[in-house]
Amino acid sequence: MIDTRHLVLHGLAVLKAAPAADIARRVGLADDRVEAELSSAEAAGRVVRAGERWTLSPLARMALQADYSRVHADVRNDPEVRAANRDFEDVNHALKALMTDWQVVTIAGERIQNDHQDKAYDARILDRLGSLHERSEPILKRLEARIPTLAFYRLALLEALEKAEDGDSAWVSDVSCESYHTLWFELHEELIRILSGSRTD
Amino acid sequence: MRLGDHVLALSGGPSPDRALIGNKAASLADMAALGLPVPPAFVVTTQACRAYLEGGRLPAGLEAAVDAGIAWVEQATGRTFGSGPSPLFVSVRSGAPVSMPGMMDTVLNLGMCPEAAAALARETGDSGFAADTFARFEKQFAEIVGHAPPADPRVQFLHAVAAVFQSWNSRRARRWREHQGIAHDLGTAVTVQAMVFGNRCELSGTGVLFSRNPLSGERVPYGEWLPRAQGEDVVSGRHTPLPLSALREAQPAVAAALLDAAAILERAGGDAQDIEFTVETGRLWLLQTRTAKRSPRAAARMAVEMATEGLIDRRTAVGRVSAGQLEALLRPALADDSVADATILARGEAASPGAGQGVLVLDSDEAERRAAAGELVVLARPTTSPEDVHGMIAAAAILTELGGSTSHAAVVGRSLGKPVIVGCGAGSLQALGGRMVTADGGPGVVYEGLLPLRSPVDDPVVATLAAWRAALAETV
Repeated sequence: MIDTRHLVLHGLAVLKAAPAADIARRVGLADDRVEAELSSAEAAGRVVRAGERWTLSPLARMALQADYSRVHADVRNDPEVRAANRDFEDVNHALKALMTDWQVVTIAGERIQNDHQDKAYDARILDRLGSLHERSEPILKRLEARIPTLAFYRLALLEALEKAEDGDSAWVSDVSCESYHTLWFELHEELIRILSGSRTD
Repeated sequence: MRLGDHVLALSGGPSPDRALIGNKAASLADMAALGLPVPPAFVVTTQACRAYLEGGRLPAGLEAAVDAGIAWVEQATGRTFGSGPSPLFVSVRSGAPVSMPGMMDTVLNLGMCPEAAAALARETGDSGFAADTFARFEKQFAEIVGHAPPADPRVQFLHAVAAVFQSWNSRRARRWREHQGIAHDLGTAVTVQAMVFGNRCELSGTGVLFSRNPLSGERVPYGEWLPRAQGEDVVSGRHTPLPLSALREAQPAVAAALLDAAAILERAGGDAQDIEFTVETGRLWLLQTRTAKRSPRAAARMAVEMATEGLIDRRTAVGRVSAGQLEALLRPALADDSVADATILARGEAASPGAGQGVLVLDSDEAERRAAAGELVVLARPTTSPEDVHGMIAAAAILTELGGSTSHAAVVGRSLGKPVIVGCGAGSLQALGGRMVTADGGPGVVYEGLLPLRSPVDDPVVATLAAWRAALAETV
């Protein structure tokens, strides 16, 4: 069992600056447990409060980084997790290419920002996103089976997809909401932290 | 033209009801009605889909009607389905009256079987071409329909039609209709069209034609031509297309007919068109036309010029330039003469256009802090992760050392509307911390110093649009 303190600090590291309730939802803990953990971490100088939001102190950030190998030694050596993570990386490449096609169109050999005026073009990309989501669901289930705190993402990604399919295109790649791209990258960030991967770009 | 229950030939008369034949077929029918050369096609109607979904199998009489459809295409092309000497191949695609996610993709080269492949090899004198077409068909059919193609082309065909109908009830299509309030019993049509081969011989090829230049907006057609190739070769980017002038030199009559067609389609559509075409053995075929995508600059120029030409009114012209396009036109850009003597500090891949300047900062927290204090900052990172988003929001431009145009920095920077340059090279930005820089996301160059920026408001096209917009606002 992963200790609560580590989990809360990890969730905060991924979200960067967040209210307690957001951290609780992300890592699957009750609000009051997260608040209690944050209060004691604040007393120890590990987190800093700014209004409603919390952030990690620079020292806690370094300590957390060192903590991953201890807390996640088992999953790091689990062949099933490693295989699922490789499959995730494959889908990740497709997702990144798709996000670029969503934002940029190639016209007459030049790349132009997609102005989202061509509804048929956007519909084709969303259709691809739907297929990609269906491809990633079983992979996320495999990861979730070994790393239960990732359970948040599968449904949250589906919610973002469905909001985008229903016509609100901000839910594809905007940074201002828990868009598909925002969530996907946060999930990727969690996997990198937990499994000691590295970001190539 | 009716060919029995549930099947209509697109024979060039007035377009049939869109609710019956779906969007894609309606667009083909519109082109045919303008007298333009469209490969012969017929439609299995949405009515047949409804009957299939109610009864759980293809409705009575459909097989005979489909045979009549195939016979019609055979007669129109002088080819025969599933046999030689000139074998006919068709594409099968879904087409609902409303486009929606989760519908079946197009199956190409249906009608392929050992006999047809042998005939195609004899006809073209190219057994490699025939074998390749066969292999591609088998793979694609299995991927899309969900099982290997049956040997009998007629059975292949009925399976593909049933698969299109079933895709109407895919999870995604159903959910989408529920959320959009679209009836589940609308149904999808199936469009069946003769294949034309741009890779058949030296007098064949494929390409796209824009009725106006999609980058500059100039009223000059812009085209790309790929001799001896199929449409997917253009899309894949595996081959570099030739300019339109190459087609004009090789086949002047075809090029002239193509330009005439572009003018007709632009008038009919009331907007610039993006036309996919194929030339098969010296004969021009139009596959698809749609409203052309364009750069923000082209959008503004086309709107103003079309209104001046009388093709559209001023209100339409103003509506043609979206808020996003206007925002892109009004982004700061480097003054034309400002870069001549400027020192280049770094170069990378241009990922999002526009110019941004300020002090180069290597840390996202610092970028946020200094921007909040009123400084202009340019954020430079080895790569970015979700932890950097607050710094990216604060920055006037974003630079990375590693990664390409699909990286996190590129995707997030574009969604923020910021200039982004990625992949400047490992270690290339570290030493620049604290320097004043100007990043030009157009070519992907980082200059030393704060170079003069120009205001795009001086642009005559933008000024004309602004004046029209203001005048229209007064009359409301």
